[in-house]
Amino acid sequence: MEKDANNPFEPYMETLRQQLEDQDPVFLIGIIVALAVVVITLFLKYFLTSKTVCSAVLLVGLCDSGKTLLFSRLLSGNYKRTQTSITDSSAPYKAKNDKGSTWTLIDLPGHDSLRPQYLEKFKSAARAIVFVVDSAIFQKEVRDVAEFLYVLLTDTVICRNTPLLLVACNKQDITMAKSAKLIQQQLEKELNTLRVTRSAALSSQDGSVGGSLFLGKKGKDFEFSQLPMKVEFVECSARGSKGEDGAADTESLELSLAKL
Amino acid sequence: MLDFFTIFSKGGIVLWCFQGAGVTESFTGPVNALIRSVILQERSGNNSYTHEALSLKYKLDNEFELIFVVGFQKILTLTYVDKFIDDVQLHFRDRYKNELEQKGSLKLLNNSFEFGNEFKMLLREAEASGKAKSPAPMRSFKESEKSQKTVKSMIETKGGDKGKEQSGKKNKNTKKDAPAAEAAKGDQVKAPPTVQKVTVENGNQGLTADEIMLKKREEFFRKHMAAPPEKTSSKSPKPQKPREKPRRVWDISGKSGKSTKTLDYSDSRNGEDSTNEGEPNQDVFFDQVSAVGLCLFSSKKAGGFGGMFGMLKGLVGSKNLTQADMEPVLDKMRDHLIGTSSAKGISDQMSSYVCLAVASTVKQALQDSLVQILQPKRRVDILRDVMDAQIQRRPFVITFCGVNGVGKSTNLAKISFWLIENGFTVLIAACDTFRAGAVEQLRTHQRRLNSLHPPEKHGGRPVVQLYEKGYGKDAAGIAMEAIAYARNQSFDVVLVDTAGRMQDNAPLMTALAKLIAVNMPDLVLFVGEALVGNEAVDQLVKFNQALADHSMSDKPRLIDGIVLTKFDTIDDKVGAAISMTYITGQPIVFVGTGQTYNDLRSLNARAVVSALMKA
Repeated sequence: MEKDANNPFEPYMETLRQQLEDQDPVFLIGIIVALAVVVITLFLKYFLTSKTVCSAVLLVGLCDSGKTLLFSRLLSGNYKRTQTSITDSSAPYKAKNDKGSTWTLIDLPGHDSLRPQYLEKFKSAARAIVFVVDSAIFQKEVRDVAEFLYVLLTDTVICRNTPLLLVACNKQDITMAKSAKLIQQQLEKELNTLRVTRSAALSSQDGSVGGSLFLGKKGKDFEFSQLPMKVEFVECSARGSKGEDGAADTESLELSLAKL
Repeated sequence: MLDFFTIFSKGGIVLWCFQGAGVTESFTGPVNALIRSVILQERSGNNSYTHEALSLKYKLDNEFELIFVVGFQKILTLTYVDKFIDDVQLHFRDRYKNELEQKGSLKLLNNSFEFGNEFKMLLREAEASGKAKSPAPMRSFKESEKSQKTVKSMIETKGGDKGKEQSGKKNKNTKKDAPAAEAAKGDQVKAPPTVQKVTVENGNQGLTADEIMLKKREEFFRKHMAAPPEKTSSKSPKPQKPREKPRRVWDISGKSGKSTKTLDYSDSRNGEDSTNEGEPNQDVFFDQVSAVGLCLFSSKKAGGFGGMFGMLKGLVGSKNLTQADMEPVLDKMRDHLIGTSSAKGISDQMSSYVCLAVASTVKQALQDSLVQILQPKRRVDILRDVMDAQIQRRPFVITFCGVNGVGKSTNLAKISFWLIENGFTVLIAACDTFRAGAVEQLRTHQRRLNSLHPPEKHGGRPVVQLYEKGYGKDAAGIAMEAIAYARNQSFDVVLVDTAGRMQDNAPLMTALAKLIAVNMPDLVLFVGEALVGNEAVDQLVKFNQALADHSMSDKPRLIDGIVLTKFDTIDDKVGAAISMTYITGQPIVFVGTGQTYNDLRSLNARAVVSALMKA
């Protein structure tokens, strides 16, 4: 019966009401304010810890690795002649997945003198980083590639956000191009030595230490699986096997991008 | 005549290109070389560049972020190219204004820019105008001045007339004095002003100078047609007073053209004057900034000044920001504020606030540019290079050079300590055979280092050894022997210490160049002290020059890196770092901050620049 249900609560309600009324109003206000502060703090904490909006995919790599052509192919499918970029280019990209999500594709210049400043500018907004490698002349450039990759992997902002790292082994249409597996092995070997030399590097003159982060696990050889962020190796060819008029061979890249 | 012409965006997408008939090679390579060496280095004064057999001229369009490049054979000297590029740029911009104005690169990718017909037309025009420099036709006697004169005027009269006439006729080649011609009206008896002979400075200006010539000739004929009727009226020329020399206007002192009247700020322009004086620091900073070169920052928008000053946006927009641009803007803003009857004090404060806001933008841009200069252009990882040399079973040779007393031997010891800490064996070559005590100094360092890292802990072999041959011997020979010894005994690193020498001392510079050319070290480090100031530029330039001159090969070994020493003696006067890096383009590899073995650091570009900008 209703009355029975209410009855057990009623005396409690009565006593509570009486107690509240007995209390000093100032004290009551204090309690309410404290509760409000706690609620607001929890609210803010929830909002602040959620990741800042990252909706950009960066195209990085050494000079002449094919980033701008890849940019053009992914966005419009056309072949465009390209020159060395000296500024970034950005455009919205529609992913080929069911959700149809769009994010911004940003093509950064690869030249040595411009690389640091553009990376600095865009790294916090990165949701995924496509690291473009020239597979044909990889053997000659392996140390520069590894050094750039090391800088990326040890960057504090990137380590915090852990975007997806896609290593796109470009220029597969050239016969001498190395496969993605080989490139992965070589990079692992090179990064193995690099992390030792970099952490032994001199500290800066104002006291900040240069090589702070040690990649991977100590004692074991470096492997990409040891990293906190996901690293994938894909093969692609921005020029395409048929030359300028044919389509580009970027399907695996687009598939990986669609998974984002 | 042209080999190619390209228009591409700064992001690297080629919008339109043209390849001349019969040209088979792709132009991508030369244009990339142009971009890398000129545009990115930001050091060029002129806008041309040569690459193998091609000569390239370029033009930047900062508003739409485009680059126009034209290439032609170096042996041809085409005079119309500069004007041609300007014309093409204007036409292209006008035609594709809408597409180019859009943000984002999608439009650039999706559009195909059809420009071929217009380009051909412009090219034809330019070539035609280039050819139309036919020599000036000779005047017939009827047209010349002599036929116009009456016989009477040529008769000698009292006064200095005839003398003036004769001298005037003789001075056919003097420059036309335009103000004087205007001042002496009706004075055509006097030496007729001759056509100004415009000295063509270089082929590029030939076209415009011709236009000047044509214009002047027209003026002259015009004046001359008016002259004869006047002449017949005055039968006897009066004695003319001597032609006054026009007052010279010196452009250098103060502002050109402004007389003392305009410099009198006592009445209405009071506000401006006081504002200018109120922030002397600001103006001095502006001068410094503009001296560094505001053109380093292309397309720096000065920020919309807010809704109230929207009209000023058109003035500033997104051009290169120069001080000349700033002044009219600030003046106009002040006038506008005063015109809207805001108090004068407030308008002064607002203009100073704008000054500050622009100054902070400029400061940020300057900071970014300085950091970019100081960033190493290539990897600076000596340990990695030493490891590479280890794998190849050869020693890694580092040579230290510099002027007297900068700290070569001390920093050599510090670097060898660092290398030993990382497990390498070092051979020190004492190639300073001149200074008394140099060899003993290095021997003392060797003993100390060996006691810090005893041989027992490193496989029974001393980690540091000294290779010396006493004093007075040839340094290059000692270096060569030391390297051979290191190879035999499989040392990892050889550090070669040379004697200090002034950059003006030619025989010593030759000796150093010979040492480096003969031994081909892996790394040539220039040791410079941080206190040096303007001397640094001179030292580095002369050292590099000497190394380049005396090397036999076509790829001479130049300075590869800089060691900046005595960094602890300066507080914030770190400008030497900037000037050294800028002159050579090479990175600062080590920074010495004291005299013990631990006082070796690497350079933190951001910290140095912030210390520099704190002033």
